[in-house]
Amino acid sequence: MGIAFRLSTELVAGVFVGGGIGLLLDKWLGTGPLFLLIFFFLGMAAGILNVFRTAKQLAVQAEQDAGNGNSGTKS
Amino acid sequence: MAAEEAASGAAHHGGGLAIDPMHQFRIETIFPIHIGGVDASFTNSALWMIIAAGLITLLTVVGMGKRSLVPGRLQSVAELSYEFVANMLRDNVGDAGKRFFPLVFTIFMFVLFTNMLGMVPYSFTVTSHIIVTFALASFIFLGVTFVGFAVHGWHYFGLIVPKGVPAVMLPLLVVIELISYLTRPISLSVRLFANMMAGHTMLKVFAGFVIAMGWYGGFLPLAFMVAFTGLEILVAFLQAYVFAILTCIYLNDALHMH
Repeated sequence: MGIAFRLSTELVAGVFVGGGIGLLLDKWLGTGPLFLLIFFFLGMAAGILNVFRTAKQLAVQAEQDAGNGNSGTKS
Repeated sequence: MAAEEAASGAAHHGGGLAIDPMHQFRIETIFPIHIGGVDASFTNSALWMIIAAGLITLLTVVGMGKRSLVPGRLQSVAELSYEFVANMLRDNVGDAGKRFFPLVFTIFMFVLFTNMLGMVPYSFTVTSHIIVTFALASFIFLGVTFVGFAVHGWHYFGLIVPKGVPAVMLPLLVVIELISYLTRPISLSVRLFANMMAGHTMLKVFAGFVIAMGWYGGFLPLAFMVAFTGLEILVAFLQAYVFAILTCIYLNDALHMH
């Protein structure tokens, strides 16, 4: 459960930050929903990148734990 | 324990079915303090933060007071938590991370104690408010970014420039990397806050079922709640652990850029 929750927050946070940057830029420059749309998709890409990295790092960690022969408390 | 807390809480606040599971998150002012039009009142949230900080100080100061070679119970707990954080820091950051031990230890103990105190009946869960977790996470984020710039200077911007990428794609990827870097405080704070709030709301909702189903049906949700309280204690520890280990990982990124 810990892992699933960690991955999903990474994904959602990416979209939120992207959308937030887009909204602020739009407000500042007064350019309709242009930047919101662009940064929304960029945020999604960043979220997926984060999920990918987290998953990779968790896999490395699991491998290390298996190698050391301890089951560990890593989430 | 929490079952009693929730059940009595529910009975206390609403007669019959009118139970408000969100009542537990309400901020109540204890001493009103206003400084220049800013509401800086001492609230129940502040009270429980101070209790947590006081208990941690008590544990470390009184626990290590005797410094006996064969530790007693309290000293064992203090030493165990020290070694736990020290090992976590060594595994994830390496020797360069030793300087940051006080920071990580403080964060870990504070989150752990506020989470655990939230499980005590009639208490207030400080970490179930996003502003608290967000303040913690942005403090970590700003601190780690500062450390990165202090250690690497302007080269720290290299963290958001991926290597071996064609020049056409570079602007796009730099923006994506920048957003990915900026999500850190959000994901860190939302994870802790959502876990704590969801768990405590769930406890209260099921406590409401105990009242609603009465003497005959109420034992089923009660049994579930006993098990769920155990799970909540596990989550309280796990989330403190995750919060601290992510601080270590971010520190590692800042100290040894990949």
